[in-house]
Amino acid sequence: MNQNNTNENKFFLTDMEENQEGIIISVLGGRMATKRLADLGLTPKTEIKVFKKAPFSGPVMIEVRGSKLIIGLGLASKILVKLK
Amino acid sequence: MNEKKKLNIVLAGQANVGKSVIFNYLTGLHQHIGNWPGKTIEKAEGTLFYKGYTIDVVDLPGIYSLTTYSIEESISREYIASQKPDFAVNVVDAVHLERNLLFTLQLLELGRPTVLALNMINLLKERGIEINFKILEKILGVPVVPIAAIYRKGITDVLDRGIELLNFQSPTPQNRLKYGKEVEQAIEILVEALEGINTPYTKRWLALKLLERDGEIEKLIREKNSELLKNVENLRTQLEKIHGHDSSIVIADERCHLAFQIIKEVMKITPLKKISLQERFDAVTAHKIWGYFTMTAIMASMFLVIFKFGDWLSGLLEIIFANLQSWFETISGISVLASLFLAVLKSVLALIQIALPYILPFYLILFLLEDWGYLARVAFLMDNLMHKLGTHGKASIPLLLGFGCNVPACLSCRIMETERERFLTGILTVFVPCSAASVIIMGLVGKFVGMYWAFALYVFAILIIFVIGKLASKILPGEATELIMEMPDYKRPSLRTIILQTWFRLKEFIYIAGPLVIISGIIIEGIYWAGWFPFIDNLLSPISVKWLGLPAITGILLIFGILRKELILVMLSTTLGTANFAQVLSPIQMLTLAIVSMLYIPCIATIAALRKEFGWKKTLGVTVFKIFFAIAVAGSISKILSIFL
Repeated sequence: MNQNNTNENKFFLTDMEENQEGIIISVLGGRMATKRLADLGLTPKTEIKVFKKAPFSGPVMIEVRGSKLIIGLGLASKILVKLK
Repeated sequence: MNEKKKLNIVLAGQANVGKSVIFNYLTGLHQHIGNWPGKTIEKAEGTLFYKGYTIDVVDLPGIYSLTTYSIEESISREYIASQKPDFAVNVVDAVHLERNLLFTLQLLELGRPTVLALNMINLLKERGIEINFKILEKILGVPVVPIAAIYRKGITDVLDRGIELLNFQSPTPQNRLKYGKEVEQAIEILVEALEGINTPYTKRWLALKLLERDGEIEKLIREKNSELLKNVENLRTQLEKIHGHDSSIVIADERCHLAFQIIKEVMKITPLKKISLQERFDAVTAHKIWGYFTMTAIMASMFLVIFKFGDWLSGLLEIIFANLQSWFETISGISVLASLFLAVLKSVLALIQIALPYILPFYLILFLLEDWGYLARVAFLMDNLMHKLGTHGKASIPLLLGFGCNVPACLSCRIMETERERFLTGILTVFVPCSAASVIIMGLVGKFVGMYWAFALYVFAILIIFVIGKLASKILPGEATELIMEMPDYKRPSLRTIILQTWFRLKEFIYIAGPLVIISGIIIEGIYWAGWFPFIDNLLSPISVKWLGLPAITGILLIFGILRKELILVMLSTTLGTANFAQVLSPIQMLTLAIVSMLYIPCIATIAALRKEFGWKKTLGVTVFKIFFAIAVAGSISKILSIFL
């Protein structure tokens, strides 16, 4: 993992605001979850941007590798992100 | 004469890349949609005649990777490895090339000759994207053909390049693509160790899957040589030490990195100065407030159009069919054979009367919304609500369909990822009041009790769906999966795709519902001839009269309703001799009858659809539960209402 991160700059994907950009630090949680995300191109060091967040703690819509993905709250809350 | 040359090809690719457009173009009406053996996943096969070849095309389900998480994925890789198609056509979305390449890299490792069909090149310019096809071809080592499937451009070139490939004997082009040094070393060691182990897969692919901790492949190798797995574990640990994450992530990461490298070499993106219209539209339709407004507006207008159109057309058909029937009755006279034929005719006409006015427009509009890209936004907006029902956003699509007809709704539960989610969604869809149930609600309660009561019944139905969802998600074993799906860009819908999709679904509905509706029509005619109606009414009277407080004749109506629900209303007016139900039924009785009709049993066509998707046991369970549930609920409500009204 990258040593330059200070704790203040670490966010969970769910805590990011719309239009904020960040870089994935790591995915916490089981192998299944991490692998499923990795298959969609969400691996550490990947740049992402939050496009929309559904209200009432709904899913997050992000832009990654030139396309959009929606990720349910449960999965999104396992993705640790460093703000750009 | 030329010897007939047969080819077997597959279409492989991620979801939303235009595979079905290409499949429909290639095979037209020569296609057959069945199920994969033992699975509830759809298998689309078709035949094509091209330049003297008879080409069998199999459209593999849209997938994200070839690691087994969903059934679709394991079906696809097994099929490619064991059936060894002459070549694979990997359809990729040129606009989203980077993420698509993640799949392509895995497909190439399976070692079949492959043609890369780079679809949607027509959209590149407006997005400011340039792709160098020649360099891409060189890097991947397979033919790359730019196509624009919705304009039918380039598809035959794909076939030509594929057929060209057959004449070369070099089956494995994948070795040009290399991952990082440590991973390549580990692969090399494993490939050597795998020597002599016989599987349908290539050694390199196996090695990668073993490093990725793919459960299915691990099991396969354990059966052949369990010693090897220790070796694998050592290599994994080494990789994990170097990279600092799980070895499965190491491989995925390498693949992402490789895809990124390729993109850097072949793709040039000039940022657009203006925000495109589709981007603006996306911002509105996925907005936390406006998104729900647009969704409500779109759904409301969809239902309005369908009910208005359906009402009009079914009224028209009613007149035509009534004339047809009476004409037949006059020429045929009265005999057993004639009434048998009449029963069949009635059933066929009944089927048309559901399919044409309600299901057909429903499918057309729904596939239009899907092809345009809107349905994915609904899944996004509804995810939170669907979680409360124990499932996730995608389930909103089958539930929505259920308002039109429960049959396509049940069949569309296939879009859910796991068996659990599929069945759960299936249970919920059969509680959605379909258009036939709506005919009763509107025609009985809306007309004679009041629109507010009719509206209340819908609210009540939705409430019940929530309760059932809560209960079922607690009872069904397994864990809820999280929503994760790709958001397709809005695009110009293709009329051809919409019509073909609609036609195939409609055909499926007729195949499922047709035989059952006809057979049960004959049985009911037989019961009528035997004069058993009063007998059945008497038999059911403890429930219908005593518990539900309805007139005795409703007993036989509820039996008819199994055939198709709106028959309850039609038969009610013929039996009572009046269409003014307020004269013969009290408001409580009308409400009770509407609730029973809405809930009591999935109609025969829906039962058949349930059986097709979930098997007899589950279908029987759902059906029996619904009957008891409806009787209990409607009876209780009737008793409660009679206190107040």
